[in-house]
Amino acid sequence: MATETTAATVAAAPRRNGGRILEAAEVVKHFGGIFAVDGTSLDVREGSITALIGPNGAGKTTFFNVITGFYRPDGGAASFAGSPILGRAPHAIARMGMVRTFQITKALARMPVIDNMMLAAPDQPGERIVGLLTRPGASRRREKEIRGQAMELLSVFNLEPLADEYAGTLSGGQRKLLELARALMTRPRMLLLDEPMAGINPTLGRRLLDHMQRLRAEEGVTFLFIEHDMEVVMNHADRVIVMAEGRVIADGTPEKVRTDRRVIDAYLGSGTVREAGAPEGGADGL
Amino acid sequence: MTGALPFDPVFAVTFESFTDPEFWTSVGILAGTYVILTLGLQMNVGYTGIINFGQAGFMAIGAYSMAVLTTGGPEGDGLINFWLSLPLSVLITVAFGLLVGLPSLRLRADYFAIATIAFAEAVRLFALNARSLTGGNQGLFGFATDWDSVSSTIEGWINSIGWSDPPTLFPLLLVVWIVAVILTVVLRLLQNTPWGRVLRAVREDEDAARALGKNAFAYKLQSLAIAATLGAIAGWFLAINLNFVNPTEFEPIVTFVGFGILILGGLASYWGVTFGAIVFWFLFEGLRFIDLPLEEVQIASLRYVIVGLVLILLMAFRPQGLFGKREEMVLGD
Amino acid sequence: MEAGALTPRRALTPVERLREAANRRPAAAAAVILGVIVVVLVASQGLHDVAQTGLTGLSLGAVYALGAVGLTLVYAILRLVNFAHGDFLTFGAYMAYLVNVTWGMPLILGIFFAMATTALLGIFLERVMWGPMRARGAGVLQLILMSLGLALVIRYVIQYIWSTEIRFLDVDVTSTVNILGLQIGQTKLIVIGVGVVVLMATGLMLRYALLGKRMRALADNLELAETAGIDTSRVILWTWIFAGGLAGLAGVMAAEVTDIRPELGFTLLLPIFAAVLLGGIGDAFGALAGGLVLGVVIEWSTLLIDARWKTFIGFVILILVLLIRPQGIFGRARSI
Repeated sequence: MATETTAATVAAAPRRNGGRILEAAEVVKHFGGIFAVDGTSLDVREGSITALIGPNGAGKTTFFNVITGFYRPDGGAASFAGSPILGRAPHAIARMGMVRTFQITKALARMPVIDNMMLAAPDQPGERIVGLLTRPGASRRREKEIRGQAMELLSVFNLEPLADEYAGTLSGGQRKLLELARALMTRPRMLLLDEPMAGINPTLGRRLLDHMQRLRAEEGVTFLFIEHDMEVVMNHADRVIVMAEGRVIADGTPEKVRTDRRVIDAYLGSGTVREAGAPEGGADGL
Repeated sequence: MTGALPFDPVFAVTFESFTDPEFWTSVGILAGTYVILTLGLQMNVGYTGIINFGQAGFMAIGAYSMAVLTTGGPEGDGLINFWLSLPLSVLITVAFGLLVGLPSLRLRADYFAIATIAFAEAVRLFALNARSLTGGNQGLFGFATDWDSVSSTIEGWINSIGWSDPPTLFPLLLVVWIVAVILTVVLRLLQNTPWGRVLRAVREDEDAARALGKNAFAYKLQSLAIAATLGAIAGWFLAINLNFVNPTEFEPIVTFVGFGILILGGLASYWGVTFGAIVFWFLFEGLRFIDLPLEEVQIASLRYVIVGLVLILLMAFRPQGLFGKREEMVLGD
Repeated sequence: MEAGALTPRRALTPVERLREAANRRPAAAAAVILGVIVVVLVASQGLHDVAQTGLTGLSLGAVYALGAVGLTLVYAILRLVNFAHGDFLTFGAYMAYLVNVTWGMPLILGIFFAMATTALLGIFLERVMWGPMRARGAGVLQLILMSLGLALVIRYVIQYIWSTEIRFLDVDVTSTVNILGLQIGQTKLIVIGVGVVVLMATGLMLRYALLGKRMRALADNLELAETAGIDTSRVILWTWIFAGGLAGLAGVMAAEVTDIRPELGFTLLLPIFAAVLLGGIGDAFGALAGGLVLGVVIEWSTLLIDARWKTFIGFVILILVLLIRPQGIFGRARSI
């Protein structure tokens, strides 16, 4: 996993790929005859907070699934920090430093919160049977270390008192935070968040966003998140990429994108937004 | 039918047998053997979430490779030292486990179950038909002479502490159970490690584990390899107990009884396996003595009908078994 | 956008192109493979032997196909891998024995009786076991283990009643018929004939009858079918009637060409699974084709190796299907 970097280090680092940490070119994914992702090309700058938006069925989550290795690609290419990733196994991509969360949280319900957290830490000699046998001391030491880090991280999200509870007993919002905290345990270079704000109350949401900003500033973590909450997108994203019908249709600052004709059409066309006097868009939703 | 006792059951069903320590020692050995077998199933089903219906196949490979390596086949007169054949047979069985697992672990749960039972049956049929290697239906014997001397030694120790007339198979009973307990403890310890934690996560939600950088496939493969090892060890004990290896000892009913024991004791409980095995075998064999006006074959059939009914009823009303927790039963659909 | 670190798409190698084509048209690929096998066999063993064993294999294949269609229907509509299906065959065989041998009546009555009683068994189990378990949201493991327990119960109840003694139906096993220079047992020919007719009727039913359409709708999407107003519990009942009836018939057919023993069904279960998977799980037409092909190929194997390896070959095929193409030849094309 990537070592900790500060914003200064990021700024000072030689610009590989022009500072682009994630690049995707003509990514394609189809199911039967339906092209959910139809030639998506985009790039994300290291240390940025980028929002990926678009009407329902635009292919955003499918795109996430393809570049993180959960779906097999049908075409295109992608690279992370200069290394090709398309078609690689999900766990390998995660280990490279690109970690994702899921739209429907995957808190490991029948495991305690603390176990969820400790699971995520990288470089655990105790996770290999060989390691257990040959380096039992190192394994135990690392366990202690991880436990400390986990409790620290849990306290940032006010989840510390729940450390020994089964994750399944947490509320929806708490589970979302747990998933984020858990993802952070992996010391990622980039986080792909799938609708991080969905289902959590504004206070918790604000805490999450504050933490995102802090992580970006202090550790140079890059964020790419799918969101439907436009307020969040407009106020917290450096850049907005808009997808519709499997492709990127707009890409720029929040201000630029909000007034982009094509973006408005895309949302109108799917019946998501309706302007007075405009005809009702046909149901496009995939 | 398997679960055969070392003597012909036809004349075993008498009241004298009920109090015969030889008989119950045999039952105890069977129970211990099945503990080892089912520990493997528990690792797979209870702790990894894979439905391994091929455990009897691993048992067969363990038993046969031990027997063939020791005797050199039906025509042979000795090949490798018995004690050396044991670790070799584990290696061979694990190799087969990997051979089966590598291509089939990516399949869905129900397909994997079919693949593993197909593998186990293929092993059994191979053993049945490859007569020059395995002796076919006649089987193999004469591999246990080294064990016999160990057994005598143990008997000597028992005599020296005052018990002058232990049942013939008592040393085997001791060894089986010592091994079973050691394995149970080892597995329990393994479960409480970071390795065990990843395994639990894989069982809980494979994709979540993957998203955190864990190679779920590798862990499932390791789980299968461990089950294969345990199956092989159980195979040795079965072979030594009968003094004989034969394909009919490895029919699918063996795996199914293992599952019955697994469920009885409860998923995700290694000590539950011991409980389940003891309860199952003592009841199952104990049923022989119920005085009913039925023929031999009817009593035998009835016992298996009861096994089936217990399996159905447990699944319907108490799927977590006697010691498991309810939530443990739900396998990701 | 710069694509510095990205690898450009390259042209496919001939092997990859072949594999792509095979994946797109699996039925054609399967036919080609089968054709190659036939050519190789004919070249090495002679046309007569290949045709002769092929014909014999069809009788086995008809049994497999009848069993497979029922199993695949149950899977398609209920998502249940029914390990007790083989014992439905056993049940049917013994019911026919009851009528034909114990009561001394003509075999044809035995066949109807077998089909009817097995269908009733299916309905009974659906009412008493499967329905309630589904309502409770039982998981994969629970259902599989229940079907396992059921398999034990059926088989050993039969053994309790009829013992392990090997029995035979009152059929003509000696007279043979000559077709185009090939010999085939009269009974085997009848089995093939009956099997093919029944299977085709079932196929037509699934395609054109209202019930068939409804079954296909359920197989596609159970919830959607419910909301569309289809009486799903009735369709499910009919599914079990077909599964049971076909299984009962398969059992009688198997009994006609071999013998009757309690493990009859379980011995056939795995080859039937193989047929189901070969054709594509959930696809009835695939199960039909898979069963026939499997029977013929297994019989052909006896041209090359000793006949005692027949069953083993069946398992090897099952394993190969699972490993190479688990969705089968027709998988994904249709759900029934």
